Amino acid sequence: MPMRILRAVLRTIRNSRRLAMGLVILGVLVLVALFSPLIAKAIGGGQDPIELAAYDKWQVPGPSHLLGTDQFGRDVFAMVVKALAVSLQIGAIAGVISTVVGVIVAFVAGYKGGWIDNVLSTFTGILLVIPTFPLLIALSAYAKNVSLFQVGVMISIFAWPFAAKTIRSQVLSLRTRPYVDLARVSKARDLEIITTELLPNLLPFIGVGFASSALGAIFGLVGLEIIGLGPGGVIDLGQIIYSAISTGALTLGAWPMFVVPVGLLTLLFAALNMVNIGLEEVYNPRLRGVAGE
Amino acid sequence: MTADAPPAVAVDKSQDSAPISGVRAWLSRHPLAAYALRRFGLYLIELWGALTIAFFFFRLMPGDPIQTLIQTLQQNYIYNAQASAEIIARYKHEFGLDGNLLTQYVVYMQKLVLHGDLGPSLINYPTPAQTVILRALPWTIGLLGIASVLSWVLGVVIGAIAGWRRGKLGSSIATNLSIALSHVPYFFVALILVYIFAYSMGVLPARSAYDSNINPGISLAFIGSVLKYGLLPGLSIVIIGTFSWILSTRMLMVPILGEDYLVYAEAKGLKSWRILTRYALRNCYLPQITAFGISLGFIFNGNVLVEQLFNYPGLGTTLVTAIQQLDFNTILGVTDMAIFSVLTAVLLLDLLLPLLDPRVKYWK
Repeated sequence: MPMRILRAVLRTIRNSRRLAMGLVILGVLVLVALFSPLIAKAIGGGQDPIELAAYDKWQVPGPSHLLGTDQFGRDVFAMVVKALAVSLQIGAIAGVISTVVGVIVAFVAGYKGGWIDNVLSTFTGILLVIPTFPLLIALSAYAKNVSLFQVGVMISIFAWPFAAKTIRSQVLSLRTRPYVDLARVSKARDLEIITTELLPNLLPFIGVGFASSALGAIFGLVGLEIIGLGPGGVIDLGQIIYSAISTGALTLGAWPMFVVPVGLLTLLFAALNMVNIGLEEVYNPRLRGVAGE
Repeated sequence: MTADAPPAVAVDKSQDSAPISGVRAWLSRHPLAAYALRRFGLYLIELWGALTIAFFFFRLMPGDPIQTLIQTLQQNYIYNAQASAEIIARYKHEFGLDGNLLTQYVVYMQKLVLHGDLGPSLINYPTPAQTVILRALPWTIGLLGIASVLSWVLGVVIGAIAGWRRGKLGSSIATNLSIALSHVPYFFVALILVYIFAYSMGVLPARSAYDSNINPGISLAFIGSVLKYGLLPGLSIVIIGTFSWILSTRMLMVPILGEDYLVYAEAKGLKSWRILTRYALRNCYLPQITAFGISLGFIFNGNVLVEQLFNYPGLGTTLVTAIQQLDFNTILGVTDMAIFSVLTAVLLLDLLLPLLDPRVKYWK
């Protein structure tokens, strides 16, 4: 089973240059994030480069500090690398939670159908349509001193409907397939059908759901940081942007503090979007005209 | 025996239509009205559901804002213990905080539905929250309305052309740019625009919604200043919005190109432009109208940060200020207002759709 999935994944990647490129960019970013402690150590040369007043403040980019230093004399390059790890982490936490919730809701709604589907779909629809960012801002404003994980949970409260919607429409189309009918008439149990027949065919859409909720989560956290409401104690890319704006870093010649995080996030958004679209492009022809959306 | 069958069916039919009540018969003769009624019913349920979610969300939140408010009130008004209890009770009543959660909910909904009353704003006491919100509303509707419609039109047109001419250089540039940029948050673009046009070049203002030296009113100078100040925030929404509409329109367009009726139109010798505008485009802008309604909530989310960044006096800025000052009636009010606007817009678009799309017949 794992080998089968792996081979299917490889085949999918070979079929789409866009998907491959998105995954490569994502992979590089994840690698940088994984090695961020080492990179930071290498930059600091023994000491912590993002400690307060580690160096002189507001140094312009140069050989000793590739991206300069910030208002507290921290090395911007080391900060950005560490912040990237935090941003990816939040994407992963919220992405996993919302995908799991989304998959469960989608299966219950799509597979069972009837009034359960009606209630769940209406609820999902409401959460999708109403502006939820005010709720998120308010929640983080009142929940002081939250950890990164808690922020991830908070964000996924609002991110799961995206995953649920994508997956539900696929469940609806898949459950009427002949092979599912076959499994049903041969007396397979619901859970068995779901795990052996539906789930493997849904993997690409679960991937799309994960990528879009991770996207939404990172965007959400950056948004919170921009208005100064992020979790305390950790630095993510949004917070560097926030401090660049609030200290007027651009006018002091510290442009990397603004440009580099914005560039990295744009790259991250682009990569996740490429994965999304690549997956959809590969799998859509098979589903066209069936799902109805 | 077989000869009996047709009359039996005919009898069944007449029984089917005759005895059902007048309302039902009327509805089955007017499917559009039935559709409109059913859609309106769904709208009411959605609206009620969303407002209820919002209400309980804010009242059940960890780090209770109400408790903080009471503490602030106590610190500010506690001159003697006896008076304070009375004052607190009075304030609790004023802000709709007396009784248990369910009573509060019933009172809140009653006030909201019957009088359009959102309760007093805390920072601007005794000004009611709805006054604060209505003051901000025109700015957001103006900015967001123009920006979102403009980006929809631009995106659908460019996206349709990109799908039509797929494989050509211009089309693939547009597509790849859209893939890279369609999910970038609005405020990134806003920040970059501010940096270029406001700081580096100094040609456009980066804060507020109009020149404070000009008196607000219907005058050319004021309208010009509103447009000038709205340009950067509007542009940041339009740029990203256009890219995401390009992408989704192209994705709708490409499968349409393989349809038989397009081959037929081509074989008939119709000009390619006519096929695009009269045959292909019509089939991909209709689903995009529905998608437009669904995207409004998302656009509002992004707009909160753009407004905050430009200090634009709309709902987004009102919301952030209210949150910073724990003005919970205003917070809930802004959320309710956003929910109401988005759901109403979606309803109107759905009701409009049968007029635009002859295929949509709501028989069910």
